[in-house]
Amino acid sequence: MLDLSQRQWVKHAVVHPVEGFEDMRWKKSGSLRIAVLIIVLLFFAQIAHSRLYGFQFGMPEQKTFNVVPYFVRSFVLFGAWVIGNWAVCTLLDGEGTAKNICIYSAYALVPYIVQLYINVGLSHILIQDEAVFMQAVSIIGTGWTVLLMFSAIKSVHQYSAAKTFAAIALTIAAMLIMLFLLVLFLSLIQQVWVFVSTIYTELFYRART
Amino acid sequence: MRKTLKKLLSFGLSLALLGASLTSVAASSAGMDETYNYDVWGEAIPSQAGYTADRAVSGSDIGAGSFDTPSDIFFAGDDTLYIADTKNDRIVAADKELTHSTGIYDSFIMPDGSPTKLNMPKGVYVSDYTGYIYIADSENERVLVSAMDRNVVLEIKMPASELYTAPTFKPQRVLADKAGNIYVVLGNITTGAAMFSPKGEFMGFYGSNRVQPTAEMIGSIIRRIFLTEEKRLLRTRNVPTGITGFDIDGDFIYTCTASSTQKTDTVKKLNAAGKNIFADKDVNFGDNKPMYDASRNILMAPAITDIDISADGCINCLDYTTGRIFQYDDECGLLFIVGAKSDQLGGFSSAAAVESCGDRLYVADSVKDTITVFRETSFGAAVHEANSLYNAGYYEEALEPWYEVLRHDGSYRRANLGVASALLRKGDYKGAMKYAKLAGSPEIYNKAFEGYRREFIRSHFTAIVLTLTGASAAAVLMHRRKKRRISRKEK
Repeated sequence: MLDLSQRQWVKHAVVHPVEGFEDMRWKKSGSLRIAVLIIVLLFFAQIAHSRLYGFQFGMPEQKTFNVVPYFVRSFVLFGAWVIGNWAVCTLLDGEGTAKNICIYSAYALVPYIVQLYINVGLSHILIQDEAVFMQAVSIIGTGWTVLLMFSAIKSVHQYSAAKTFAAIALTIAAMLIMLFLLVLFLSLIQQVWVFVSTIYTELFYRART
Repeated sequence: MRKTLKKLLSFGLSLALLGASLTSVAASSAGMDETYNYDVWGEAIPSQAGYTADRAVSGSDIGAGSFDTPSDIFFAGDDTLYIADTKNDRIVAADKELTHSTGIYDSFIMPDGSPTKLNMPKGVYVSDYTGYIYIADSENERVLVSAMDRNVVLEIKMPASELYTAPTFKPQRVLADKAGNIYVVLGNITTGAAMFSPKGEFMGFYGSNRVQPTAEMIGSIIRRIFLTEEKRLLRTRNVPTGITGFDIDGDFIYTCTASSTQKTDTVKKLNAAGKNIFADKDVNFGDNKPMYDASRNILMAPAITDIDISADGCINCLDYTTGRIFQYDDECGLLFIVGAKSDQLGGFSSAAAVESCGDRLYVADSVKDTITVFRETSFGAAVHEANSLYNAGYYEEALEPWYEVLRHDGSYRRANLGVASALLRKGDYKGAMKYAKLAGSPEIYNKAFEGYRREFIRSHFTAIVLTLTGASAAAVLMHRRKKRRISRKEK
């Protein structure tokens, strides 16, 4: 029973929102390589969604393409989620390892990513009056991912439903704290850099004369 | 050691030079020959000039003695240019070509037979309907309405009405509508233009601006709730900026407001009831992103001092800060930007007033004491022709002129828009999609795409149905085979 290949496990987890991740945990399955591939696909999906969208649904927001925001919205955000969840749930008696959190969360993102690609495709077939279909696809995909993400966190840590809610809320808080620290760190580094460069300039001019 | 230092130094220097050259590229858009326009993204890009400066005319050129601080010009219906030559206390009339003066008005005869002289006239208007000349005689604190033979018909002094609360009456600009009602822009008045009946009775104010809601203003309103009456009186009041200039076109009065801090209501189109028709238009009059002049530490925020409506309905806004004329069509679409702040021909030190006559633009400079004449270029003529056809709804007739515009300037946004609309009307959906994309108009693209999709489905109907049925049949077969294989395995 349930002798599935790693690829089949993705499908199994995605189409069984309630039991899928429990089964995966029971079978000790899930591949980090596939998880990374999913996040790479998320990265490209976001780029496609903002740059390759049908023109009848609006102009791209930026004149020039910059890869950094997309990088942040996929890799950095996902990384923060995994680290934040791992940090929070280690303290809350969660059973998941960082690797498992990464794998399960990535699998849970599949409907959202599929939704992005489907909508990019649909945006070249439909017109503005028919945008409601794309909206439906988007809502279903996103809702499904939310459901899966909840199930994934619940299974990976073996939590009750209430505890999962609390863990997710705390994870989001942890992500915000990490973001805040990152910004603080960057601005401090910048000041240190200005200080160092000022000293360098000063010495440079003195050495010259 | 010396050598590496030298290398480092030269490297640093070259970096600095590179930086300087980059900033100078950004700043050079102010240059006289480098006209620009805004692209789909609202960023300034080089463009062709719609007007070019022909010559600058001084007072002595037309044989009237040099001007001193001219502050208003006006073209009457018979193509005579009236110049309010402020510090010379006179109004000078000149012909359209600005070759000679056709009359100098400095003294008038009052109805009781006594002579009267002008003192710092700042505005002049001649009505085609009444045939009178209206003069904003600023330092005499009056508006003079006179027949062209210098016999004063009406003198409007400070109104005694209790509605008029200001201590002074300094007319800056004046105009009259078809019915002979007189509108006067007053200095230091923020409640709009004063309106007088043809008989000179004060009828109230017309078309005041709104106050721009800023965070500071809302904060001060909240603070006022907690203040005592004495403290409230000491605080600054939030008043709208007063109107600076206006022009009348048929039944509509266009006003402009020179404020470098406010952006609300800088240009308005008022109907007879005083309602602003441009109120909900999302247009930035003047530069989109004001340029920062590093050499003087000034942000060149637009200050529209005068407005003029040309015969074909185009709106010419004169920006005092940059010395540029921004020409919009009657739907507020930006057509051209010409002029600059400079001492050369085509640049201004202190641009005061703008007027148009036919395909010419006239700008008075109150420091150079000249009137600069701008001539429409072939590009300008093509744009005007195409645009007026387009705005009148003749999309297909406008197609050829728009192509002509695109031959001059391939990134002219309105031309792409015009071509897209025309091609859409013609049924060339593929082409319409291409130009709608260039013009940045998802709405037109949407319509074109709808048509394109309809045609595509109609012409490829059999192929589409065959592919769809084939694909679904293949999917069903694959599924069945898979199931069979699995069940065989399980056995």
